[in-house]
Amino acid sequence: MTTSAPTLAIPGQLLGHASKYQPGPGTHIHESNLYASLLGTIHVTQPAKAPGPVKRLTKITPAPAPAELPTISVTVPTRSAGAEHQQKKREVLPEVGNVVLCRVIRITPRQAVVAILVCGDTVLDAEWQGLIRVQDVRATEKDRVKIYESFRPGDIVRAEVISLGDQANYYLSTARNELGVILATSEAGNAMHPVNWKEYRDPETGLLELRKVAKPY
Amino acid sequence: MADRRRINGPAGATIPPVFDEDGKQYEHKVAKIRDRAPTAIRKMFLKTGVTPSASGSAYLEYESSAKSGVSGLKLSCTVHGPRSLPRSSPFSPHIVLSTHVKYAPFATKQRRGYLRDPSERDLGTHLETALRGAIIADRWPKSGVDIIISIIEGDQDRETSKFQGDETWDMMNALSGCITVASAALADAGIDCVDTVAGGVAALVQDTSDDSTPRIVLDPIPSEHEKILGACCVAYLPIRDEVTNLWFKGDLPASDIDLYTKLVESGIQASRNGNRVLVECLGETVA
Repeated sequence: MTTSAPTLAIPGQLLGHASKYQPGPGTHIHESNLYASLLGTIHVTQPAKAPGPVKRLTKITPAPAPAELPTISVTVPTRSAGAEHQQKKREVLPEVGNVVLCRVIRITPRQAVVAILVCGDTVLDAEWQGLIRVQDVRATEKDRVKIYESFRPGDIVRAEVISLGDQANYYLSTARNELGVILATSEAGNAMHPVNWKEYRDPETGLLELRKVAKPY
Repeated sequence: MADRRRINGPAGATIPPVFDEDGKQYEHKVAKIRDRAPTAIRKMFLKTGVTPSASGSAYLEYESSAKSGVSGLKLSCTVHGPRSLPRSSPFSPHIVLSTHVKYAPFATKQRRGYLRDPSERDLGTHLETALRGAIIADRWPKSGVDIIISIIEGDQDRETSKFQGDETWDMMNALSGCITVASAALADAGIDCVDTVAGGVAALVQDTSDDSTPRIVLDPIPSEHEKILGACCVAYLPIRDEVTNLWFKGDLPASDIDLYTKLVESGIQASRNGNRVLVECLGETVA
């Protein structure tokens, strides 16, 4: 729900006092004033309200937080002019808490090294490396986890970023039901389908392979 | 490391001889006198998004002097990134800024090599300091950004036979252009900045035509003045009212103790003027 009349902002432009808006992406606060930090268009998003008047009070809810402020953000416009170079999008970095899609590069007994391909809904330009350590593969029976019974190189994995990690790797975790391998190929090279929480089946050879299977949505 | 593999052109330019024609006196070339007001800077052309393959880019051109043979300043800047750091580099919670400034081999009167020389590294360091104060570095952890500037035309008088003293004055003009063009390219790349930083140069000059009192001018062209006593290049954030980089060189007369402050203030004024062009250009980019 965005109010219309987006206006332009250049870095450093005053957007308003910090008591009037909440800072969104592309803005920063300096001396209790909000300023733009990106070149783009200003959007003011009203806070999400209750979908309608509550007809009957069925349960006691805490009083709504007083003065929910509208969020102001500056977004970089997509280039529509000049279609020869494809729509320019802003770089996105994986952040802690994001759900990412990644491909398994190699596995060792202690960890699986993956390349992060998609962060949230955006496909990343740069390839970022991630690490799924053996203790982050699943939430239960962590001491029985074996990496080679959870991932194989080439699998596509849905995982959550738990840390920015060390200099080279983001640390990822699949310790949730809906996280894990979502696409796998068998040793024969066929695409497989999941049969339960820990197995994929090759439809042609009928063989079962062990994986940390993501629960389908 | 010396550059041995390439065939480099002659290091300096030679000027063809001019002969007197049948008595017509070849008028002696007079040094060009500055025709702008002391507080006016040269006209600028700035455009963003000139390099499609880069994340952000900008091109800056200064008006060339009316005197023939003197070309203006032409700069092209590309910004690559934010991208992942190389594996060997240590963990960084901020964005890692790396700046490269390179004169094209043909940009100046004295031919430049293909490898960066110390003066170009110096410009890169100054530029990095100027931009570091403007970028919100912790928005992009674990990533690096490369800012590459080629100086295509170095704002030098090619027809003066005598080598005019100090090259530092040219470098100051180049640095101020580098700061402005890099700021535009960073905004084009969508990297968070607290403000638009622009560069400005002010100098204390002494002309022969004047009654030998030094005066302060903005955006000096070294070939237009007899002597430059001192100059400063300022990188300035107009909304924050902060100076991110200050480069001062020269000897000021000891008689006036306020001269230093005045010169820096004039540099800030020059930077404000440049910033107006920058803001206008960025407005055109979005619209």
